[in-house]
Amino acid sequence: MAPNRETAKVVLSISGLVKHFGENTAVDGVALDVHEGSFYGIVGPNGAGKTTTLSMVTGLLRPDGGTVTVHDVNVWKHPSKAKRSIGVLPDRLRLFDRLTGAQLLYYSGTLRGLDADTVRDRAGDLASAFGLEDALNRLVADYSAGMTKKIALAAAMIHSPRLLVLDEPFESVDPVSAANVIEILQKYVAAGGTVVLSSHGMDLIQRVCDSVAIIVQGKVLASGSVDEVRAGGTLEDRFVELAGGRKAAEGMEWLHSFSD
Amino acid sequence: MVAQFLGLKLRLMANTFRRSPWQVFGLVIGLLYGMFLAVFVVLALLGARFVGDVELIRNILVVLGALVMLGFVLLPLIFGVDDTLDPRRFSLYGIPNLHLASNLALAALIGTPSLVLTVCSLATVVTWSRNFGTTLIALVCAVIVVLTCVLSARVTTSIAAFLLSTRRAREFSGAIGILVLVMLSPVIVLLATVNWARDGVTVIANIESWLSWTPLGAMWAVPGDAAAGAWGVALIKLLIALGFLGLLWLGWMALVAKMLVTPHREAQAKAYAGLGWFSRVPAGATAAIAARCLTYWGRDARYWVSLVMIPLVPVVMVVALLIAGAPGHYIALLPLPVMCLFLGWMIHNDLAYDSTAIWLHLASGTHGIADRIGRIVPVVLIGIPLIAVGSIVTVYVYGDWVVLPSVIGLSAAVLLIGIGLSSISSAVFPYPASKPGDSAFSQPQNLGASAALVQSISFFAVIVLSAPIIVFMALGLFVSPEWLIGTPIAAGIIGVGVLVAGVYLGGWVFDRRAPELMAFATRND
Repeated sequence: MAPNRETAKVVLSISGLVKHFGENTAVDGVALDVHEGSFYGIVGPNGAGKTTTLSMVTGLLRPDGGTVTVHDVNVWKHPSKAKRSIGVLPDRLRLFDRLTGAQLLYYSGTLRGLDADTVRDRAGDLASAFGLEDALNRLVADYSAGMTKKIALAAAMIHSPRLLVLDEPFESVDPVSAANVIEILQKYVAAGGTVVLSSHGMDLIQRVCDSVAIIVQGKVLASGSVDEVRAGGTLEDRFVELAGGRKAAEGMEWLHSFSD
Repeated sequence: MVAQFLGLKLRLMANTFRRSPWQVFGLVIGLLYGMFLAVFVVLALLGARFVGDVELIRNILVVLGALVMLGFVLLPLIFGVDDTLDPRRFSLYGIPNLHLASNLALAALIGTPSLVLTVCSLATVVTWSRNFGTTLIALVCAVIVVLTCVLSARVTTSIAAFLLSTRRAREFSGAIGILVLVMLSPVIVLLATVNWARDGVTVIANIESWLSWTPLGAMWAVPGDAAAGAWGVALIKLLIALGFLGLLWLGWMALVAKMLVTPHREAQAKAYAGLGWFSRVPAGATAAIAARCLTYWGRDARYWVSLVMIPLVPVVMVVALLIAGAPGHYIALLPLPVMCLFLGWMIHNDLAYDSTAIWLHLASGTHGIADRIGRIVPVVLIGIPLIAVGSIVTVYVYGDWVVLPSVIGLSAAVLLIGIGLSSISSAVFPYPASKPGDSAFSQPQNLGASAALVQSISFFAVIVLSAPIIVFMALGLFVSPEWLIGTPIAAGIIGVGVLVAGVYLGGWVFDRRAPELMAFATRND
């Protein structure tokens, strides 16, 4: 099911992407090519610049340098054209949570230019696919963290974009829902859609994604197909090795002599 | 342990200076203001030492002191402070309850309000240093005053943080705040009608006579009573003050113990059937944004609290003007334009209210014009009936139907100018607003001086731009009625012109600066 990397068209192309926050360089020359129909995972330790990179890809954060093109459209030169083909799930940003789930889906769809009937149909489908039927009439502010994630994920898909950019889509989502979501995403990819997601779950990335990039301190240390990157070992081993290795747990013997 | 807690509080205070220059500027202004206040009060109290009329000084001290105490009790409840030393933050350290409660209370002594209070209450010792006995009892009472006020503030802060932990309860606290304001306004009117030059001393004496027997005033009255020679009364009031302090202490201990073992309260969710406003508007992004804004105006406390304040402002204004002796005939013309002024101004920071949720508008490539127009729809929908009904009432009270077109013109123009300027300022100069889900009265901690600047400029710019219309109206009223023809014409030109220009310019800025607006929202979340 992995796409043919030589022939598939490049959907998302990132080159030389740079972002500084004051003294600190959060993203330092990130370059990636994501091919059509691929399930692309981005992994990295905390503070590696994953969210910053994805924000610049989706047009939420202005880069200090570099280009992002989606279907040959430059995201920062022609934002409204590029954004039409991107679906976004940001991490740690608020939703319009005084709306009910149904209203939020409707709002997202309408802003994306869908007509009322289409939005209603799709909202219903998405709600049942994500197991949110019972929650649609409640305020999103009253949702649990996992439900909030799911409704945001549903809102990201409602306009059937060619590219889905999902930042930590499975964080605090229960395993059953996560399995459902993965199945939905796999079907979407099989039909020619492209998914870029970031995650801390190495097992999940290794199992689900066909390509992966490891970002550490704002730089891409390895990228390619999952098999290439993990080079025989597990993705987790390779990741820990690239991210600076395990810290030796020395000098912690006091932890083993309990204080009472 | 005490040293650690005091150190923690000092560190927290010091860290507030490690922010952006504007925030430090605001903080320094606050500190200077506190110092100025303290110096002023201390000088007054020192001067009072040499005034012979002991009872007058006691009466004034009791009334003002009770107000100070009330401030310490109520302000945390209404404004819902962000409590950096919430007892629950220490729940995992296993500190014995007595230690935790006393250390937190001691740490609360550090802070601008507490310091100003301490300095001022120590100055009262000088005021009452008439002889050894009064000096001693004044010193005791000064300590009681500081402990009572600070502990009261601690207790209400914790109660506020504790009870208002759910979203709905926080919104409810906004309603309480309005209720308090509404209830206070007749008191203010009553106080404003007193002829202070003639009856002031008697009124204060009357208030003191019952206030000094309550926990609010007792601690302030004791040294004064002693100085007046009424030692028996002084001792009884001292007992009241001490008893109240003891109860406060027990209450605080119990509250800390209770809070440590109680998790956050869970709210009950309410169901809303259907799509609400969304099913009542036409298709398209602009209409959807309008529906979203209308929904928020109804559900979000930050909007409806501001909305409820709008009719209160002209009431207070009219009462003040009437008391000041302005002619009632012309005052009738004021409330409607003033309400329109505030209504248009309400959305001057609308974008900041969305906080980071605004990402959806960015990610979907929503056009700035659609965003701007959608946001002004609720204001227009409220403004039309307000002006329709308000202008008829205004002219009826005024008594001359000749002014009707002018009243409608001026009010509509003020509203449209306000909307137009708000459309620009919310995209160009957003400043930190209270976050979604917070109490409508809570202000963000890092509210810099820039906020005050934006608020005043966007407010007075409306008045400046409406000046030609006001001039036509004034000439019509006071010189010759022919001038009144100019009012609706000028209103139409300026109002529509500013509205169109504002929406267009605001939309253009939004399109260009959307990522910067996003960065602003992320910084302040």
